[in-house]
Amino acid sequence: MARALNLVVTGVGGQGLITLSSIVARAALRRGVDALVAETHGLSQRGGTVIVHVRLGDVDAPLVPPGGADAILAMELIEAVRYLGYLRPGGTVVLNDYLVPPPLPGIETPSASSLLDAIRRRAGRIVIVPATRKALELGDARVANMVLLGAALEAGVFNGFIDAAAVEEAIRESWPKAAEVNLAALRAGRALAKSS
Amino acid sequence: MPRYSEVLAPAGGKVLMLGNVAIARGFLEAGVQFVAAYPGTPSTEVVEALAAAARRLGGRPYVEWSVNEKVALEAALGAAITGVRAVAVMKHVGLNVAADPFFSSAYLGVEGALVVVSADDPWMWSSQNEQDNRWYGLHAYVPVVEPTGPQDAKEAAKLALEYSARYKRPFLLRSTTRISHTRVPVETGAIPVEELEPRGDFSKNPARWTLIPQYARMHRLELLEAWDRLRRELAGFPLNRVEGSGPVAVVAPGLGYRYAREAVKLLGAEDEVTIYAVATPVPLPEPLAEKILSHDMVLVVEEGDPIVEIQLKTMAVEVDARTRILGKRGAQGLLPRHGELGLEKVAAALAKVLGRELPAWTRGERREPGVKLPPRPPVLCAGCPYRSFFYALRRAANKLRLRPVYSGDIGCYSLGILPPFEVQDIIVDMGASIGSGSGMAHTLTGGGRVVVAIIGDSTFYHSGVTALMNAVYNQSPLLVVVLDNHTTAMTGHQPHPGVGVDAEGRAAPEIRVEEVARGIGVEKILVSDAFDIRDSEAKLIEALRYTIETRKPAVVVARGACILVALQQARRRGIKPPTYYVDPEKCTACGICYKAFNCPAIQRGEDGKAVIDPALCTGCAECVQVCPFDAFKPSQEPPEEWTVIMRTAKPA
Ligand code: SF4
Ligand code: SF4
Repeated sequence: MARALNLVVTGVGGQGLITLSSIVARAALRRGVDALVAETHGLSQRGGTVIVHVRLGDVDAPLVPPGGADAILAMELIEAVRYLGYLRPGGTVVLNDYLVPPPLPGIETPSASSLLDAIRRRAGRIVIVPATRKALELGDARVANMVLLGAALEAGVFNGFIDAAAVEEAIRESWPKAAEVNLAALRAGRALAKSS
Repeated sequence: MPRYSEVLAPAGGKVLMLGNVAIARGFLEAGVQFVAAYPGTPSTEVVEALAAAARRLGGRPYVEWSVNEKVALEAALGAAITGVRAVAVMKHVGLNVAADPFFSSAYLGVEGALVVVSADDPWMWSSQNEQDNRWYGLHAYVPVVEPTGPQDAKEAAKLALEYSARYKRPFLLRSTTRISHTRVPVETGAIPVEELEPRGDFSKNPARWTLIPQYARMHRLELLEAWDRLRRELAGFPLNRVEGSGPVAVVAPGLGYRYAREAVKLLGAEDEVTIYAVATPVPLPEPLAEKILSHDMVLVVEEGDPIVEIQLKTMAVEVDARTRILGKRGAQGLLPRHGELGLEKVAAALAKVLGRELPAWTRGERREPGVKLPPRPPVLCAGCPYRSFFYALRRAANKLRLRPVYSGDIGCYSLGILPPFEVQDIIVDMGASIGSGSGMAHTLTGGGRVVVAIIGDSTFYHSGVTALMNAVYNQSPLLVVVLDNHTTAMTGHQPHPGVGVDAEGRAAPEIRVEEVARGIGVEKILVSDAFDIRDSEAKLIEALRYTIETRKPAVVVARGACILVALQQARRRGIKPPTYYVDPEKCTACGICYKAFNCPAIQRGEDGKAVIDPALCTGCAECVQVCPFDAFKPSQEPPEEWTVIMRTAKPA
């Protein structure tokens, strides 16, 4: 493949997946790297499954092909497993340790450990951080996405494409007023990944 | 950053934009003066971005949210007749609503410019069908421009408006989900701000501007002539281009080009193919087709229906070409006729045409994950007023021992289809809840049968009003529920005639649902607090009894703000809604709240007792009314302002 980085960002609608992906693209743009972020809006905002395709570098098409993702960044365990087919053999999964049972009556939810086993069977490497818990500690559940992004940075997912400074600049650019809590979340994510 | 500020980014930069925002930028660079639209995924952000620009540029261009797509297109056509550069924007199915003026616009032509944007939704990410609106171009004789990927959406929009002005004909700009909803870096050009001011003029000329048969016949002849001219001249459209010089032709209209190009690179087949990027799929330019037909082998890669493939095949017969044309049709169909394109599909098709081995990864060994995954459909948000209202609706129907048929509609409330509510038995199109519901009301017999039409406020203004008039006139015995959350929620909170604000954020007259209903002649109209289960239940019972006894339509307006808008305004005003928790002493594990009420923030704990996820709870207090054992408690006393905002918040 051409020099490209393929990512799948997934989770439940409302977890800030599009924001996370846009920050990655903005950071890439700052480093002169081309980016494509394909998202699905509409109904999926209401607590449904969400997948965002993020492609950096020498790319044309908007969607990551199945088996072509270098990494999956997942804000939720069930959704991480749902899109595992996108991961290339040996790819990395960066994971929020957080399970949201689908709110449908009478539906059976798999256990966290069985989900983790499924990921382990497929992934070359897994980095798990408690992003949602950390965000609640920081006082705003909405910044869990930046905790996960921090973890992905620390895990080296973006190596050769974007660096931590570019991400921080992109965060400042996106939230001139609310940069601090997002930056704190990003750093917390990096620290968590380091110790995981 | 204020939303959509990138649409006015200074010229000469490279800025990350959503495809739809790039389209908006393209229109601004081409000097658009008039914009009318009805929101619909995946088209909405085009006009949100233009409205944001107008707000900052002192009302230039003129931007409106029209009540529906037909009116939007008529308004834009009217403006274009006065010499103004106008656009009308809609999702694919919106063009069905606007088809009538669309066909007429082709006959009339324009004095200024008119571009109709249609955002198609292959694989129906948020739509009821996957129609390819390039058919409309063929059908109505309106030329179609299609960006070759999100990368040149801005350029395509700009050129479409310029070409429309040059030919004085309407153009259709067709986008698809992956163009509209992909973010890409876009190079910005200059915006001629002064020219955005709409200044129209009109001089009488009935032969030109009226479609009575005598003049329409003349227009028909002119239209055919113009079409033939466009078939020749669109070959020079700047985004049509040819790459490479290999023997096999890959014809790639629109987004197909991006997949084709990357697939060629992946297979290392650069020397074996010639790629034809086609940005004007309708009419397929003849000079281009001739070149394509000079190849022995052609693969057509297009998103949607085989529109270019069919035109090519027709032309091949007409000129007696021996070319093999492969794509989606025929026994040899290499690409699927449904859903979206994908790199793996296009690479596989190309490999076959070239007689190559498939690259290993395209075989996509989709190994089963080894654990059974539950589905996760979208659900009503935690704190949505529709949830408490649907709960009341089910209770009212049970109390009266009715077996209602719920005639549904398009909006967030479509999600009421899911258990535990199941209050959407049919869903057809915008406004059909009342239209089809009143038909059913005339034909359903049997004890306890009653039709309840459920429609949202924005959908009611869009096309529910005429259907309600029909129900009154023809005396259909049905209950119409209008869920009024003061916004068009599903598409991202646009205002509508009931909100009191216009697209550019100015105060506007507020047209109330109950007053419209009264004016139409509905005799029984009740307004309930959608967050208040008892109130809604009582009013529903009263209205249902009325409809059953008098055999006349009744209307219940269920009022309560979209919780997302309410939360946003609370944040802005520094008001902190409470979160709720379950008192384990009181909870008896009866399960009502997570089985029959089903707020996504409430989960079943290990012992069957309820637990609330504080990250999801919005503080709506609906659960408090549902629990028979008084187990739900607020973390803090709910501020008085919050209970007001929940009921009244509107998009600013
Ligand atoms: S967006 Fe608003 S109206 Fe739609 S489900 Fe959520 S709360 Fe309800
Ligand atoms: S848990 Fe109760 S208060 Fe919180 S969102 Fe759900 S229904 Fe509303």
